[in-house]
Amino acid sequence: MNDIKVELRDIRKTFGSVEALKGASLTARRGEVTAIVGDNGAGKSTLVKCLTGLITPDSGTITIDGKDVRFSSPKHARAAGIETVYQDLALSDQLSIWQNLYMDRELTAGIGPLRFLRRGEMKREAHRLVADLAVNVPSVTRPVKRLSGGQRQAVAIARGVMWARGLIILDEPTAALGLRETAQVEGLIRRVVDAGETVLVVSHNFEQVKRLSSQVWVMRAGNVVQGVRTEDVSGEELVGLVTGAITAV
Amino acid sequence: MSTQTSPVDTTNPITASTRTLRRRLANEDLWTRATAPVALVLLTVTFTIVNPKFLTWPSLTSMLADSTIPIVLALGATFAVTLAGIDLSLASTVALGSVTMGLAYQAGLPLWLCCLVAMATGLSVGALNGVIIGWVRIPDFIVTLGSMSLVMGLSLIFSQGKPVQIPERALTFVSITSVGGIRFNFLIALAIGVLLHIVLFHTRFGTHLLAVGDNPDAARAMGLKVARVKLAGYVICGLMGGVGAVLLTSYIGSSQPATNTDYLLKAIAAVVLGGVSLFGGRATIIGPILGAILLTFLQSGLTLVGVSAFYSPLVIGIVVIAAAMLMRGRK
Repeated sequence: MNDIKVELRDIRKTFGSVEALKGASLTARRGEVTAIVGDNGAGKSTLVKCLTGLITPDSGTITIDGKDVRFSSPKHARAAGIETVYQDLALSDQLSIWQNLYMDRELTAGIGPLRFLRRGEMKREAHRLVADLAVNVPSVTRPVKRLSGGQRQAVAIARGVMWARGLIILDEPTAALGLRETAQVEGLIRRVVDAGETVLVVSHNFEQVKRLSSQVWVMRAGNVVQGVRTEDVSGEELVGLVTGAITAV
Repeated sequence: MSTQTSPVDTTNPITASTRTLRRRLANEDLWTRATAPVALVLLTVTFTIVNPKFLTWPSLTSMLADSTIPIVLALGATFAVTLAGIDLSLASTVALGSVTMGLAYQAGLPLWLCCLVAMATGLSVGALNGVIIGWVRIPDFIVTLGSMSLVMGLSLIFSQGKPVQIPERALTFVSITSVGGIRFNFLIALAIGVLLHIVLFHTRFGTHLLAVGDNPDAARAMGLKVARVKLAGYVICGLMGGVGAVLLTSYIGSSQPATNTDYLLKAIAAVVLGGVSLFGGRATIIGPILGAILLTFLQSGLTLVGVSAFYSPLVIGIVVIAAAMLMRGRK
């Protein structure tokens, strides 16, 4: 079981009278892309939020590198090396690219209350990072709101890559993007995986899941109903599994 | 850098430079930042043409001294507005701080301690606002509308509406003494401005304040403690109200129990003129300072050219709405 990076077992979560997760379980292997697919309301986002610390599950266990973990805030998840790129990107529009890349992890110099930002160093490092990842953005001092959708997504992913130590979670990474931008973001994801990171991706786009992932988990009505290797399943079969038209492949 | 450049830019430098120029002019930041300085220059030129006395050193330095309290309050309001909020209680905080300072003086406390009491009063009002806005999650407008009346009431109750004379030379010193004509109180306001500039742009807290003001949900997702950041922002705002109270008491020589709502209006107006986004997340320190100076110049200038003081709120109101519309038009 050495190649299992993350394991979620029997995760349950109820919001008021709504059972969002009814004992969902899945695993993600180290160094590959694992996809979670499912219809709206199937519980994908809730499950992912349990892993990122935004939601604390009512019951169930989360294991990372074989160790049980319990996250009660995004900070804990990040401390465990998990970075998340949210569907709504979680970027501060009016702040610059470098400020977003270093958000809440700013480099400072000084002691006690007299700690000042190392602005120059952060700008230089941010510049190097976007260049290394071949992210196509203008100067890192530009505010994020001036970027295109693809560039924004690239910045969000770059931030994940910059800080992740082992696992990056992408929630609908290309939902709002055009074809060309989608291809660029997918290229970026591939480079990240080739560099040894484990990626968990939530997607509506079955073609994309086929292109990117090695393993796919299907969610329906708060449960993970099927897990298959991507190469063993066709696009139509995935659609069938998601809608419940077919129950297994 | 993998900046994408179209072939036109590299082959034709003239097209490229006009393009850069056009992009700069289309940049709304430039316009919002330019509003206060450009208006200040236009205003100074206009008033000087009508009455050359406007642009004399004694007149300028006296107007700058008058702008001290508006500057300090505008700096405080900047921190609330950067959080996409507002602090309507700012002017009554000045009154309450002045009252507690007078009471402390009556109780026989040393002057420096009286000043600290005024600042602590402002800080407490800010903390009250911040806690209710951050944790109880009631909109800032309602919270500070309530605390405005609450604080106003407290200062009337504590003082019984009566001012306390503070005949201390050390206190009036800052309002009277000058360095080369520039009064101490104005220099104090500038020093506070420098300090707050460092806080806003060179500390982690400043970045977090901008991020929370820009988008609280994104900030929360990044692990920022949104409520705590808001509390700190309102505490700074309240503290500036306390500093304003000390400066006002120093200026007048006695405590001032009555709330002067003109201070609130001017502070918010200066922030808007200074190009700080009312929707949060974008701020400067120099902008509100220039905005406050602009409004003071406007008021003094109108008096100097013989316009009745009754017109001054009207003109300030028009200027503020025009500035806000200008910014909106650039979006």
